[in-house]
Amino acid sequence: MEYVAYTLAVFVVVTAVATALLRDVLAAIVIFGAYSLGMALLYTLLLAPDVGLTEAVIGAGVTTLLLLLTIAKTVRPSGDRTIERIDPRALFACGALAVVFGLTLPGLPAVGDPNAPIVSYDAVTGHYLTQSYAETGVENTVTAVLAAYRGFDTFGEATVVFAAGVAALVVLRREVLT
Amino acid sequence: MIELLATRWAYATFVFVMVTGLYMMIASPNLVKKVIGLNLFQSAVFLFFVASAYVAGGSPAIVPSEGGGGPYVSPLPHVIVLTAIVVGVSLTAVALALIVRIYREYGTLDESVLREVTDD
Repeated sequence: MEYVAYTLAVFVVVTAVATALLRDVLAAIVIFGAYSLGMALLYTLLLAPDVGLTEAVIGAGVTTLLLLLTIAKTVRPSGDRTIERIDPRALFACGALAVVFGLTLPGLPAVGDPNAPIVSYDAVTGHYLTQSYAETGVENTVTAVLAAYRGFDTFGEATVVFAAGVAALVVLRREVLT
Repeated sequence: MIELLATRWAYATFVFVMVTGLYMMIASPNLVKKVIGLNLFQSAVFLFFVASAYVAGGSPAIVPSEGGGGPYVSPLPHVIVLTAIVVGVSLTAVALALIVRIYREYGTLDESVLREVTDD
C-alpha cells in the first residue's frame, strides 16, 4: 500500500509539473488527462471509490473533452519553444505560499491516523456511520448523506449545473442561433 | 524531514500540486492553460479532503444493514468533494465557453496580446 501510494503521488506531481511547463496546449491537455487518471487512482487507494469514479469520469473524461473541443475551435500557440518561459516573480510567490503551507504539515495528523479528530469524533462521523441505514435505508453512507441528509445541497448543485449550461449557451449564442 | 514526508505524503502532494496550479494561473500566457491550472488547484484540494478522511486499514463507508464492521473512513469529506467536482466542471465549462467567445471577438488567446487589443 505505502509504496503504491508513494509511486502514485510522484506520478501525480510529475504530470502536474509537465502540464505547467509544456507550451503546446494540446500536449498539456493530454498530460492533464494522465494526471486526472493518477489522481482518480489515488482517491480510490485512499478508500474513496465514489470520488475516484467521479474524478475518472468528470476530471479525466468530461474536462479533457471540453478542453479538446475548446482548442479545436481556437488556436494552439505557435513557435518552436517546447517549454514555457519561467516567470521568476510568480515562481517566488508560489514558492513562498508552498513554504507557508509546508510549515503546517507537522501540525496535521499523519495520513491514515485512526485517532485524527475527523474520523474519531463520534458525534458527527460516528453518527452518520451508525445511524444512516436506520434513518435512510441506504447502506452506502456517502450516498445517504449526499441524497438524503444533504439532499437540499445536491439540489443546489443541480441548479449550479443548470445555470452553467444556460451561461455557456448565452455566451456562445451566435453559434446556437445560426 | 523524510519521516514527515513519509507520514504526510498526501498533504505534501496537495501543497505541491496546488502551488503548481496557482503558478499556471499566474504565469501562463495562454488562457486555456490558466483553466487547466485552475483544475489542478481544485483536484489538489480534493486530495487534501480525501486524505484527511482516510483511516489506515479501514474500509469504504458502506455499512451493512445489520451494522458492525469497520473501522470505516469518514464519509463526510467524500460527499463535499463529490459536490465540488461537479461544481468544478460547471465552472470549467463556463470558463471555456468564455474563452471561445474571446477568441471569436479578438482572434487571440494570449494574455499580453489581449491586454494590448482591449486597451485601444
